[in-house]
Amino acid sequence: MLTELEKKIIASIQGDIPVTERPYLEIADGLGISENALLEGIKSLCDRKMIRRFGATLRHQKSGFQANAMVAWRVDEKRIDEVGTQMASFQAVSHCYRRNPTDRWPYNLYTMIHAKDEASCREIVRKLSKETMVDRFAILFSRRELKKTSMEYFPLPSENET
Amino acid sequence: MSLTDTTDRAILNRIQSHFPITPQPYLSIANDLGLTEAEVIERIRRLKENGIIRRIGANFIPNKLGFVSTLCAARVPEDKIDSFADAINRYPGVTHNYQRDHEFNIWFTFIAPSMEEIDNNLQNISRETGISDIISLPATKTYKIKAKFDL
Repeated sequence: MLTELEKKIIASIQGDIPVTERPYLEIADGLGISENALLEGIKSLCDRKMIRRFGATLRHQKSGFQANAMVAWRVDEKRIDEVGTQMASFQAVSHCYRRNPTDRWPYNLYTMIHAKDEASCREIVRKLSKETMVDRFAILFSRRELKKTSMEYFPLPSENET
Repeated sequence: MSLTDTTDRAILNRIQSHFPITPQPYLSIANDLGLTEAEVIERIRRLKENGIIRRIGANFIPNKLGFVSTLCAARVPEDKIDSFADAINRYPGVTHNYQRDHEFNIWFTFIAPSMEEIDNNLQNISRETGISDIISLPATKTYKIKAKFDL
């Protein structure tokens, strides 16, 4: 499915690309391929929908979205697609997934909500609840970020000292 | 709020997705926004130094690369949170980890080549930390993953 070169290309763009005039040339040199081969390789990964998003990841807290809440909802399975789609249409909802409930945790729909403060998050949750008529939910505000990184797929072998 | 001007906002709105795949991407951005390449580079460097930009790069869909992912939750006593976090953060596949205010108070994402591997890792974590209440909630359907935040 993926060639060895493609794995190397993935590993080379999953971190932080340089902010210089020719960032791809720098990366290509590191891989021992031409700049053009790298550009074509990245475009191919995009075309094959392997890259979900290519660009800058922001720190929300510093860009005006200070509060984030995960909301777990208990939705009647018969309505899950309808409710999931409806919740996804809200601007403040960044992520929306269905997950299987467990005996210890009965919720089946999950939304991430970003807003300027906790009161705004609660207000959005109230609206979501009202519009979808789902009134069983748990709001989980984040208290502390313990880790946030991007996944390292196919890590390159660490460089030997010359 | 350290975002002071509209040019910074325009740049941030432009580069969160569809970052140019061209030999001089910052020139492409500059052309889109009516700025110079040097100005775009200087501003993006500053936005990274300020910590507003965490990174610039690709975000992959795990399943398309032959990986699986799940959301895990654990019920951890207050005095064990730090040691539990250390134990799970050691796994490179744990990419996001948050303390949240609920009975299930530690929430983390786990990516690995197979669900078996994740389940084995969770069992090892339980053994090592004494925390037995860990649940794994893989997504069965995605309704939305937002690509960008309008500033």
